[in-house]
Amino acid sequence: MAEDVAAVDLLIVGAGPAGSNAALRARACGLQVLLVDENHDAGGQVYRPLPAGFSRSADASQSAEVRAGDGLRVALRSAGVDCRFDHKVWNIGADLRTDLIGPGGSTSWRPRALLIATGTTERVVPFKGWTLPGVMGLAAATILLKSQNMLPGRRTVVAGSGPLLLAVAHGIVKAGGEVAAVVDLASRGEWLHALPSLAGRPDLLWQGLLWQAKLRLAGVPMLYRHGVRTVETTDGGLRIQVDEVDATGHPLTGGECRTIAADSLTVGHGLVPGTDVTRLLRARHRYAPERGGWIAETDVDGRTSIPGLYLAGDGAGIAGAAAAGAHGELAALACAADLGRIGSETHLLERASLLAAWSRPARVGRAMAGLMALRDGAVAAIAANTVVCRCEDVTRAEIDAAATEGARDLNQLKAWTRCGMGPCQGRTCGDVAGALLALHGGSRESVGCFTGRAPLRPVSLAEVAGDYTYADIPIPKAAPL
Amino acid sequence: MNPIANAYDAIVIGGGVMGCSTALHLAQGGMRVAVLDRGPLCREASGVNAGTLTLHMTRAALVPYAMRAWRMWMEAEQWLGMGVLATHVPGLTLAFTEGECELVELRAKARRDYGAPIEVISSARARQIEPGIHPALLKAGYCEIDGFASAYLTGRAFRHALARAGVDVLENRPVKAIDSDDGGHTVRFDGPDGTSVLRARRVVLAGGVWIENMLGWLGVDIPIKVLINQLIVTERIRPVMRTVLSVANGLLSLKQFANGTVLIGGGWQGEGDRLRGGVEARPQNLVGNMRLAAYAVPALAEARVARIWLGLEAETADAMPIVGEVPGVPGAYVVGSAHSGYTSGPFMGRILAQHMLGQTPDLPLFEPARLLGMPMPGA
Amino acid sequence: MSHPFPHVLSLRANAAVHRGLPVVFTVDGMEVDAFEGESVAAALWASGRRELRRSPRADQPRGMFCLMGSCQECLVWVGARKLPSCQVPVSVGLAIETLAHRERSHG
Repeated sequence: MAEDVAAVDLLIVGAGPAGSNAALRARACGLQVLLVDENHDAGGQVYRPLPAGFSRSADASQSAEVRAGDGLRVALRSAGVDCRFDHKVWNIGADLRTDLIGPGGSTSWRPRALLIATGTTERVVPFKGWTLPGVMGLAAATILLKSQNMLPGRRTVVAGSGPLLLAVAHGIVKAGGEVAAVVDLASRGEWLHALPSLAGRPDLLWQGLLWQAKLRLAGVPMLYRHGVRTVETTDGGLRIQVDEVDATGHPLTGGECRTIAADSLTVGHGLVPGTDVTRLLRARHRYAPERGGWIAETDVDGRTSIPGLYLAGDGAGIAGAAAAGAHGELAALACAADLGRIGSETHLLERASLLAAWSRPARVGRAMAGLMALRDGAVAAIAANTVVCRCEDVTRAEIDAAATEGARDLNQLKAWTRCGMGPCQGRTCGDVAGALLALHGGSRESVGCFTGRAPLRPVSLAEVAGDYTYADIPIPKAAPL
Repeated sequence: MNPIANAYDAIVIGGGVMGCSTALHLAQGGMRVAVLDRGPLCREASGVNAGTLTLHMTRAALVPYAMRAWRMWMEAEQWLGMGVLATHVPGLTLAFTEGECELVELRAKARRDYGAPIEVISSARARQIEPGIHPALLKAGYCEIDGFASAYLTGRAFRHALARAGVDVLENRPVKAIDSDDGGHTVRFDGPDGTSVLRARRVVLAGGVWIENMLGWLGVDIPIKVLINQLIVTERIRPVMRTVLSVANGLLSLKQFANGTVLIGGGWQGEGDRLRGGVEARPQNLVGNMRLAAYAVPALAEARVARIWLGLEAETADAMPIVGEVPGVPGAYVVGSAHSGYTSGPFMGRILAQHMLGQTPDLPLFEPARLLGMPMPGA
Repeated sequence: MSHPFPHVLSLRANAAVHRGLPVVFTVDGMEVDAFEGESVAAALWASGRRELRRSPRADQPRGMFCLMGSCQECLVWVGARKLPSCQVPVSVGLAIETLAHRERSHG
């Protein structure tokens, strides 16, 4: 780490809608703010920036989403928010000291308050062949389309559950690609059932219907109540086997089964709030499947059980992008009030209008979250020799064997199988591994989470050690003889 | 007269290596034994240590114990039934400065006096054995008897062995108190159904850093110092080393497992305590440990760290183990604080069990009574 | 199923975006055409290169998966740094090595 530790009022990790809006609000309250993101510009997942050197055609009409994202980036620049892009947070201390690694080396900061707005990662329930090149997440396909302006394939199967399915399928067709099929664990009925919750967002409802119409026009088969069973490579592509499933996501015995040829598969079974930082700092967590899984306990303003540590956006529990901005502002306000920089009257006044701005989109976002919750049947259907922990090639069979022998919590499972010991530290497999363990008895609560430890992302010894000679090594006293 | 009958001949409190090894040997000697732990077996120090099976960093006087324990680890499949991937490779302790050269000579001689086959070799010879060492190496201590194990496998192995030996294992049962009388000891503990008791003629305190608390239950005051050791593991990398490496100042332990991950230790201290456990690493101590590692084996500089964690190590006032009878409490025993406790752990459990079974221990125990009234240095 | 947009030959879409400068970068010494600023993972994907490494125990082919720097699947060497290629922007003269290639060259 850096020898010097610089002070700052509020350090915000994550420049998506929650973090960026929080930064703007915090600046407006007179706080010194540092906004950190590992990407090269603000926007996060939802408002992904174009790569440096790319630009949008001036003559083309942009979607509301693109305009919102570009607007956010402009606002951050005009407000003079101190942004550290291309910076990775790799360690945070109990005193909130934050260690970053960026293009110029390592720096350390001592913020009076820390706001984590790092959003979610995607969950994929494993199936045979899910680790093959050519298979990527729905969020991954979204990044490819929106940011890299690239198709996931010439002919793509879009599979999984939740609102991302439609968005990705439409995105592919709009960009000139072919969607071989949309394979949705949900039934048409489930979608219809969710429609009333969209009453609060007629724009989203309209967009959804429009997208469906476009897909229909493009002749894209919509396979409701279907799931991917296996994927194999063939010459020139993938052979994807798709089965009929029940409401829990489990294949129906005697159900319809079909094989689809494509060159890529994009699949996702929901978003999971990222809890690396809150687990590292030992904040209190609870299991909330309707919000995406394990989340740190927060009050409405985003305060966690740790003084000075705030959460905003989907990382605090999925409520959608539209709610994330208001949530970020609520947290920034609370922080400013807690630091004594705004009076309680100002706080309450601003807070009231932000809460109103937050609650309607949050209701919609939460309803959408319900559509992407983990389905038990899909987990139960994972075949024995299917890899669950990608980093360490740990299969379901090995997880079941450990559970049968008596592993009752995720950390015990990790010690016995190496599941979660790889460079991703259980971010990709943790939710599914927890669900598999819970099948053996106990509950998701008793199974728990992987213990959070540094580094939050892999860092090399050289990045941490910096330049030094042998004499620079601070040697404490020698061992006893 | 206590109405509850003695269900066990011995209850071992603390399911780490020493407690489990004691329990296993007692059971094999014919006793009815139970092991209680507030968590799962071997998940404290025994499951999170660096797994170094070295004589270089073992206290000189403990070398005979470490050598016997080394053999036990290497033959774990036989007596434990399941291995811990114990791997036999030579060990080198490195000197990069004149001061360290002196230390290497001193430490080698001190350990040779206790039977360790350690010789001091030239830099050229050391780098023949381990080509990846920094060219600035001046000299090294070399020991053929060295190696490492994967500590996190230990709990699963002992679980099997204890079950086969007929030992009752009660995990997730925090012990609250011990009431001792003429007939034995009543151990009170929490479980899912509330508080329960078990009774045994003998009780063994094997709680690592918590031995101090456990002795307190019996009214005995012996301080146990808590070391908060930082550990760093890389992701899998190409083979960069094939021995166990340490530095003469005692501040580095390095090994590369068969799976390619490299474990970096050396006793650099982090934040934590007996109550909260290991909380977090100290920044300057992470930097120091990593610098030393990347200096000793330059190929490590580009290795990425996958995880940093902490383990609690117990140390007595004279830095020697506490193994034997609890002073003033008949039928109560204690085993722990062996410093490099994982290395010698299985053997410490054996000799305590031998003593408790009325046999002559293979090597002398470490009289706990000596620690009564001994001030902790620096306290 | 006939393709509704038969003129799309490559995976690079034409969604009203001006790309950066066309550049050439190398992967294991072989040249790959790309555009400045694209992620290396995406550029390799578009060039038809999907397998980036092999899994540790089962030696199975792996490539990019999450595209957000989390899963650690799309790792490549950029000089002395091992990085997720989804977080490495293509630049003029960039030289990337796959993990297998670097391992072989160490001998």
